[in-house]
Amino acid sequence: MAEIEIRHLSKSFGEKKVLDDVSLSVEKGDVFGVLGLSGAGKSTLVRCINGLARPDEGEIYYQGELLCSAKKPIEKQKRARIAMIFQQFNLLEQRDALGNVELALELNKVKGKKVRKEKALACLKRVGLEEQAHQYPSQLSGGQKQRVAIARALALEPEVILSDEATSALDPETTQSILALLKSLNKEYGITIVMISHQLGVIESICNKVAILDHAHLVEQGGLSDVFLNPKTEIARSLIYANNVHTELNEHHFIRLLFDGNADEPLIANIVQQCSILISLVYASTKVIDGKVYGQTVIKRPKDPAEREKLAKYLTLHNVKFEEVKSLGME
Amino acid sequence: MEWNEFFLALGQTVAMTLIAAVLAYLVGLPLGVLLYTTGKKGLHPNRVVNFIVGLLVNILRSIPCLLLIIILIPLNRGVFGRATGEWYTMIIPLFFASFAYVGRVVETSLNEVDQGVVEAARSMGASSMQIIVKVLLTEARPSLLLGVALSTISILGYTAFAYDFGAGGLIARAYSIYSSHPINYLSRPDIWVILALIVVVVQVIQEVGLLLSKKTDKRRIAK
Repeated sequence: MAEIEIRHLSKSFGEKKVLDDVSLSVEKGDVFGVLGLSGAGKSTLVRCINGLARPDEGEIYYQGELLCSAKKPIEKQKRARIAMIFQQFNLLEQRDALGNVELALELNKVKGKKVRKEKALACLKRVGLEEQAHQYPSQLSGGQKQRVAIARALALEPEVILSDEATSALDPETTQSILALLKSLNKEYGITIVMISHQLGVIESICNKVAILDHAHLVEQGGLSDVFLNPKTEIARSLIYANNVHTELNEHHFIRLLFDGNADEPLIANIVQQCSILISLVYASTKVIDGKVYGQTVIKRPKDPAEREKLAKYLTLHNVKFEEVKSLGME
Repeated sequence: MEWNEFFLALGQTVAMTLIAAVLAYLVGLPLGVLLYTTGKKGLHPNRVVNFIVGLLVNILRSIPCLLLIIILIPLNRGVFGRATGEWYTMIIPLFFASFAYVGRVVETSLNEVDQGVVEAARSMGASSMQIIVKVLLTEARPSLLLGVALSTISILGYTAFAYDFGAGGLIARAYSIYSSHPINYLSRPDIWVILALIVVVVQVIQEVGLLLSKKTDKRRIAK
């Protein structure tokens, strides 16, 4: 049984369709990434999951039960099971860190001032901010604010945390520390995390599954390494591969070599030596996914058809996936 | 100069202003919450309710204070047994002249609250009432306190109309000095004492409002 199952979800704002027949399924313990450019509908998708937006069509199931649909609004108790953190942290500026965490408990009528305080302190301790309990958001750094927000999310002992671009306002170093914290919560408590981001790096550093949204449509979905290694759609390719590639070489043909975690040998050097083909390297990138090294290298396609054939044979022989591409995915 | 009289008049002005301000907030605060809640960014946007309430507020605000006092004479008579002549007969007119204004001031303060925190509270399962009390009014507190000072000062300005109805107060007193000494009233010290007292009262209200707002605003705490 899926932790969260989204079936045929559609949503429009006026004329503009922001989600069009989106279906996906998140298993318990997943760190599920939703990747897409801004305006792709990611935010609306995650907002539907905890009732900040109502779908026009479709249903969302939570642990096998109908959570919400166009007709059925989300129940308050279930909402508390699904916590959310935001890009702008959304803390009360007039309450200190402790007060912000206590707010979650107050709103859900947790009885006893002392009980709330102890619980809130424990949550702050978990995110490493017990010493800042009495500081106000204006006194905290961005990363600290997000930690308070995470502590607030933890206060109700959620089973799911939704993260709406939670690291997009942070610098790379702080981003990594927040991601590490989320990952540890996932491992320690088995909290399922649904993580929205337009940043590839965020998704690939902690997610085990990914869905790609483009213009209201879900275009790909699956295990992180499957999708990232073998993107099937053009938009997925451009999101995954074309990162940082700026090219005006579109008159050329390219070959993309894909590494699937087993490539220990110096492939390019071997090609040059053993096939006597001079390789012109255009782009290369490797990523560590689930502890294995994956990567891609884009080279210029040799002009000589004989060389091309030789190269293809060599690659096939050595189990290297490759494909011809006309551009680097940057349309 | 009759100091006793000055202080009596000062007391009357302050009393009618403060009592009217408290009453105006008793009604104006919920009114402002209603305007915000039913407004475009509100928790329960409702164009019809918002339009009707907004229209009533605007109509009330466009009636000149003096006209309002005249219209409210029967109400005053019903409540106090007399329409004019005592300081407290100003309370009801001042209240009517200001609560709609207070409603707008409160609405403006609430509109300044970041929508993100409202959303966060909602995602935690907060009811609308909880959002209003625990999020909106808390987050808007510094701005609301400034609004109180602003509204109180504007009510103080309306107390001038007390003159027309023999309801006392400092400003009315100034006019009576003029009418009894029309030629040389500006060379009399008492008119300047009144002016100074009014300035002091307004400044005190302004500064107290500002100070409370600053003192309680946690955004201002330095790192």
